[in-house]
Amino acid sequence: MASYLAEQLKETGNKHFKNGDYAEAASLYGQAIQKNSSNPLLYTNRANARLKLHQWQDVIDDCLRSIELRRDNMKAFFYLAQAQLELHHPNEALSSALTAYELCTSSPSQTSSAFTIAQLVRRCKIEKWNIRERQRIRQRSDLLAELLEKLEKDRIGELQDIEDKERQGLVGRVESEDRRKEVDEEYAAKMDELRNVFAIADPKNLEKREVPEYLIDDISFEIMHDPVMTKNGHSYERATLVEHLKRSALDPLTRTPLSVNELRPNLALKKACDDFWDHSSGWAYDW
Amino acid sequence: MSATRRLQKELLKLQEHLPPGISLVQADNFETWLMDIKVLDDNPLYRGDTYRLKFHFSSSYPIEAPEVTFITSPTTPKIPMHPHVYSNGIICLDLLDRQGWSPVHNVESVCMSLQSMLTGNEKNERPPGDADFVKSNRRRPRDISFYFHDEKV
Repeated sequence: MASYLAEQLKETGNKHFKNGDYAEAASLYGQAIQKNSSNPLLYTNRANARLKLHQWQDVIDDCLRSIELRRDNMKAFFYLAQAQLELHHPNEALSSALTAYELCTSSPSQTSSAFTIAQLVRRCKIEKWNIRERQRIRQRSDLLAELLEKLEKDRIGELQDIEDKERQGLVGRVESEDRRKEVDEEYAAKMDELRNVFAIADPKNLEKREVPEYLIDDISFEIMHDPVMTKNGHSYERATLVEHLKRSALDPLTRTPLSVNELRPNLALKKACDDFWDHSSGWAYDW
Repeated sequence: MSATRRLQKELLKLQEHLPPGISLVQADNFETWLMDIKVLDDNPLYRGDTYRLKFHFSSSYPIEAPEVTFITSPTTPKIPMHPHVYSNGIICLDLLDRQGWSPVHNVESVCMSLQSMLTGNEKNERPPGDADFVKSNRRRPRDISFYFHDEKV
């Protein structure tokens, strides 16, 4: 009886969700959970509604409870990753997103979610890299700021010197004016030079922004994350190839019949892609 | 699929390098591009002429084929004469058909295919039933399934 009532409440909740009334939907799923706390779907449904309401911490709680009830829970990991990303925990988010991706690609149907989840994985990786990069820039610019400050102190010191000499009558007004100008110019040039040196020393500015052709998926033209091989030995990004095969079950190059379960992961190429992502200092994400 | 990201990359490549006889006319957005093609050999049917192609991309490009038609403009006043090109610019080419399209094709490869389709043609004629088709057709090219009866042309 309780589970029947829970089902009814869930159905009503789904209706509200469809109409965009997420608060009401979340509350109905909550009532359903009180009737039947052992159904993992009720938690993922509420997590989805709470995602729309930007209640990130609640989303995380719901997803974790749902995962406790059912391990191979693609939706729960997918929502979990989004909330973790919003709360700026890119490492956790990436690990959740990768779990969702694995669950998705290992399921026999390889649903359309593969592509959406792959995009989330990408967003997590970008966020992770952004945080690392911000830290690096902060450290580097600390040193630059310190050196610039020292130069500025020297400049003020020299100007003070000139003023003192002028006051003591050692140099005339016109001459000291000229000297002040010289000092200002000299230090402006030094500071510019210092900034240049720092810019040149940044390996990011020297790196060649080139992606080897063999890492690029011929369908999306993106660097691959999860390359799979077809019978003829050609590799594509899994999500985009699956998307293509859903419309036309033919090998894109040879136009011979090809089905999703004939695809094999290309592990060596995946390793090459992973290495590239790790070593390209972030620009690859914008490429 | 992210059509925009893929088209951005195609555009970068096109701006860097284009095969002979093909030029980029306009690509201010990721929905419609204009390309010009010329036939390079001395085929008397096309000598001295430039033809304009209009590409229309859906948000599912390149999983879905682009819609490609010949159009006229003040600098490109002609629709090329070919037994697979209707006088309203609609092209009947298996590559552009839902069944014949493959997502590894791209704007450049489509232009090159059309270029070679013209190069190899010797018939100064329109597809059979051209006048009727042009008068009565209200469908978009992608919704028409052509019957590819003549693979040789």
